[in-house]
Amino acid sequence: MKYAFFPGCVSRGGCPELYQSVKQVYPRLGIDLEEMTTVSCTGAGVLQEKDLRLGDILNAHTMALAEQQGLPIMTICSTCQGVMSQANHRLATDPGYLDDINRVLAEEGLTYHGTTTVKHFVWILLEDVGEQKIRQSVKRPLTGLRAAPFYGCYLQRPSAALGFEEQPARAKSLETVMALLGAEVVDFPGKTRCCGMPLITINEPGSLQMVAHHTSDAKEHGADVMVTPCPLCHLNLDGLQTKAAKHDRREIDLPILHLPQLLGLAMGLEPRALGLNRNLVSTKSVLEKLGVA
Amino acid sequence: MVTSYEYDVLVMGAGLAGLRAALAAHQTGATVAIITKVHPVRSHSNAAQGGINAALTDRGDKWEEHAFETVKGSDYLGDQDAVEILAQEAGQDILALEHMGVIFNRNEDGRLGTRRFGGQKRARTFFVSDFTGQALLHVLYEQAMKARLPVFEEWFVLSLVKDEHGQCGGVVAFEIRTGRVALFKAKAVIIAAGGLGRVFEPSTNALICTGDGIAIAYRGGAPLMDMEMVQYHPTTLRGKGLLLSEAARGEGAYLLNAEGERFMEQYAPNMMELASRDVVSRAEQIEINEGRGINGCVLLDCRHLGKALIRERLSQIFEEAKSFANIDLTEEPIPVCPGMHYMMGGVKTDVEGRCWDLAGGWRGVPGLFAAGEAACLSLHGGNRLGANSLLDTVVFGRRAGRCAGEYAKTRSQPRIGDGVVKDGENSIKGLFARLDTDDTVARIRHEMGRTMTESLGVFRDQEGMAHAQQTIAGLRERWNRVAIHDKGQVFNTSLVRALELDFMLDCAETIALGALTRTESRGAHFRTDCLHRDDEHWLKHILIYHRPGGSPQLDSLPVRITRWEPQVRVY
Amino acid sequence: MLTTFRIRRFNPESESPQPYFEDYQLVTERSDTVLDALIRIRETVDESLTVRCSCRGAICGSCGMRINGHATLACKTKVASLISSGDAIQVEPMNNMPVIKDLVTDMTGFWEKVRQVQPWLQPAGPEPEGEYLASPDAMNHLTGVMGCIMCGACVSDCAALEVNADFVGPAALAKAYRFVADPRDGSSSSRLTALNTPGGMWDCTRCMECIEVCPKEVGAMDRIMTLRAKGIEQGVPSTCGSRHTEAFADIIERKGRLDEPMLAVRTFGLTNFRQMFSFLPMVIRAVVRGKLPKSGPLFRAIPGVDRIRRLFRRAKE
Repeated sequence: MKYAFFPGCVSRGGCPELYQSVKQVYPRLGIDLEEMTTVSCTGAGVLQEKDLRLGDILNAHTMALAEQQGLPIMTICSTCQGVMSQANHRLATDPGYLDDINRVLAEEGLTYHGTTTVKHFVWILLEDVGEQKIRQSVKRPLTGLRAAPFYGCYLQRPSAALGFEEQPARAKSLETVMALLGAEVVDFPGKTRCCGMPLITINEPGSLQMVAHHTSDAKEHGADVMVTPCPLCHLNLDGLQTKAAKHDRREIDLPILHLPQLLGLAMGLEPRALGLNRNLVSTKSVLEKLGVA
Repeated sequence: MVTSYEYDVLVMGAGLAGLRAALAAHQTGATVAIITKVHPVRSHSNAAQGGINAALTDRGDKWEEHAFETVKGSDYLGDQDAVEILAQEAGQDILALEHMGVIFNRNEDGRLGTRRFGGQKRARTFFVSDFTGQALLHVLYEQAMKARLPVFEEWFVLSLVKDEHGQCGGVVAFEIRTGRVALFKAKAVIIAAGGLGRVFEPSTNALICTGDGIAIAYRGGAPLMDMEMVQYHPTTLRGKGLLLSEAARGEGAYLLNAEGERFMEQYAPNMMELASRDVVSRAEQIEINEGRGINGCVLLDCRHLGKALIRERLSQIFEEAKSFANIDLTEEPIPVCPGMHYMMGGVKTDVEGRCWDLAGGWRGVPGLFAAGEAACLSLHGGNRLGANSLLDTVVFGRRAGRCAGEYAKTRSQPRIGDGVVKDGENSIKGLFARLDTDDTVARIRHEMGRTMTESLGVFRDQEGMAHAQQTIAGLRERWNRVAIHDKGQVFNTSLVRALELDFMLDCAETIALGALTRTESRGAHFRTDCLHRDDEHWLKHILIYHRPGGSPQLDSLPVRITRWEPQVRVY
Repeated sequence: MLTTFRIRRFNPESESPQPYFEDYQLVTERSDTVLDALIRIRETVDESLTVRCSCRGAICGSCGMRINGHATLACKTKVASLISSGDAIQVEPMNNMPVIKDLVTDMTGFWEKVRQVQPWLQPAGPEPEGEYLASPDAMNHLTGVMGCIMCGACVSDCAALEVNADFVGPAALAKAYRFVADPRDGSSSSRLTALNTPGGMWDCTRCMECIEVCPKEVGAMDRIMTLRAKGIEQGVPSTCGSRHTEAFADIIERKGRLDEPMLAVRTFGLTNFRQMFSFLPMVIRAVVRGKLPKSGPLFRAIPGVDRIRRLFRRAKE
């Protein structure tokens, strides 16, 4: 199981603990990674506001490089995944468009044939690693930990580009993995909604309201912790939670874990090694609950 | 305190005919309001999928050909003066719609493109994919927003009001959201409230098509005409009766029987699947009756048209087939059967939409106008051509609106007493006060619908129709006693549905009466006990007048022939 | 098959008007839609169950409501597609608008916002004698957005509207796009300028709910993104939103990947001390945890960034 690893910008920027924790957990799952170093940001849907075709060119470039290596791509970010899935979907369903993009790539000596599979880590866990191996890797089941999932929009919509029809289990992949690790999954209406990140500059109160609403709603549904496969959601839900709580005049203090951090805990890894000390909302309560601290 | 509103022109209904009429009346400088039981874009004009006809002379087409094919399609019952106007003015109206913003399909050279439709030899149907009606309706509503026309949305009209001289003076209506009854005074009222499809079950028509406008005008004293002429569309989905547009056949789809034969060869060797609708529907029903159908259906086969064309030009019905019949049109033929689709008859008007005759040849209500499916000029006679209904709404909607606006300028506001509001309130109170029985409005409606379909369908006979007439009379008795279980004031759809049924029963009664009266077969009215067209006795329209407390009164008018003498009708 | 419908009821005329759920059990068939079931409940169980509906064929847009948590048309939703788990099918009125009774919502605000975008063609010059000439591609492209039936599903599930009632919303923006993209319309720059204000095109949070729930595949959010692109292209005055996009693109072009602190600074504008200052506590916490990203000259470009720069240049050509 070898993948071209696309770490994305944020896992090496605002959320270094994500990159750190992925590096800890993947070897224990029989996964082999070759990190892509010469590829650009996906555009995160932002570049696409200015020039959709440019975004598709950049992503076709990334996918063409993986295609040359004969490797599927692994992402660890809902946004990276969604943006690349959408680009791939457009290129796959419109041969004329693919030709157009390839004319640009040709000047770099590249062609994209449209064969690269791009998968988020959470899908790889279910579809490639498999239940059995995940169970085997669990050394410290998360029994008693009540965890709320938070997907990030790009890992849920548009479902047509994300292959939900062929792989219906993807829609609930995060919950499935969390349950396999022994956690009690807390269902709440906000799990597939927007974290507010894209609004932070244009409508800060609205963005903070989303953070406050989803985190406190999860808490009211009994969650000890929230888990996300998206570092952009993490930036908002974790990074701005204190500000959101102040804005909404309430206490929240809900630890937000990256999925690989949760997985690492279940594998029995050291919290520091997983960067749990770097989350802005203290993760101490989670560790206490698991008897690790 | 009685609420009343006052306008020069009040338009009942906000589909294509209503919006077009309102805009035209507005342009004359009259004050105009629209009253409608649903938001304008929810109107049934949406459902017209295929397109709108016009013979554009700069494209080598001739309006006379369009007119002749319309007359032939009508089985020579259409009034030819009206048909000539329709065909002559069509081009200007298409261009006007285009200028308003309709995104008509284009040719490679950037000009308007056409497709072929049934009963016509030339491709003269302009279209927007296969949601032409929706595309037109939304654009006309845009224009109404631009003109800031007041729209009384979700108001239900109870009755027409007249002054002491019998002049139309407005309507009494209630606001569905609040239950409040109000008087709308107007010098001219335009009935553009659509058809009556739900009198039949199943029907391609939306649930709102309950003949309200037709029944209100009828009760107000205007005659109904050609009520026996009910169109059965050849391609509807069995069960719910949803429509699959004629655009499919226009683009070249085949009709096949159980043996895989293109059976239209037997019935219309020249026009095949694109013969007029009455002819195709009858052919299908014969195939089905003679055992060459499949579960009461024949097959519509689009496969050879190719995926690209189906997705681009038939996207709506592609989706519809997938959602409602679970069939991929690009892979499989779809079972279809004839289904009730359109009312050729309606409130009798002249070519300016007036529901009274300036020459006094027939009686009506001065100040009352009608347009669209609710009206009957008669344009479509015994059978309407596909893509002529949208055209009818814009040409005669515009003419009715303009005439009503000009007419209003010459009149002062009729004197109407506030008592009519009290009457309206009392009629609703009376309904609420009825004692509960185990009967329901829904049950009566279902029985009416089934009866009409069984006895007044593609094939009709004396015995069946007489039976239907009796059944309808019985259902009327039941309606007079049925209770409404929701007594609320706010958004009481129970009340609305009871009132709609009241209107529908009047419509059903007149359809059966017209059909029993016409002892011949013409257009969509086909009697197995009178197999042939009888021009000697029946080259005329049947008019029906309402008589409060008594049986309806029959009258007739000769068909107006300008240049096309009746011929044998072969496709 | 016996199916349970859990319907949110609301009767404004009851003594204490509060929404509540009521369960109805019904035998449904494979071909039944949720609307069929609701009509059967209304006709055979409870006449007072209130719902708007008309065409039954997903064209009139009357029966927008939330089914199992997502907005859709009841007439387009097959019962059989929902009952995988045997749970009750939950039916609620649309969100982001007031409820009048049961499943009927007040769409006055919805239409006010549509009117706000001046939704009618504003041609550039005098009308031509014949039709406007327009390319078939341009008209075909517009059929996608003209397919909108104004059912309100996108507005119901819009996350941005939930936190900002002034946002003009996906339906109105898709409608605005319909004119901006119409070659016959002469007002695209004034339209884009009007949309470049608070509550306009930059207030969308890009959550794609509107794309997912739309029963007509209008793709409202994609249209909003194109409006933004056209706005930038036509040089509408800069806003937080457009600065964010421009800075993002510029950083990627120069570094290949995102310099997050730089993006924030350039988005807020160097002079917006107040807003920047409000993020200081977060920045300090990040510093303490040793995770404040490097920025500016300290932020290294990716290896082979030259190629990325060339791709940017070629895309512009």
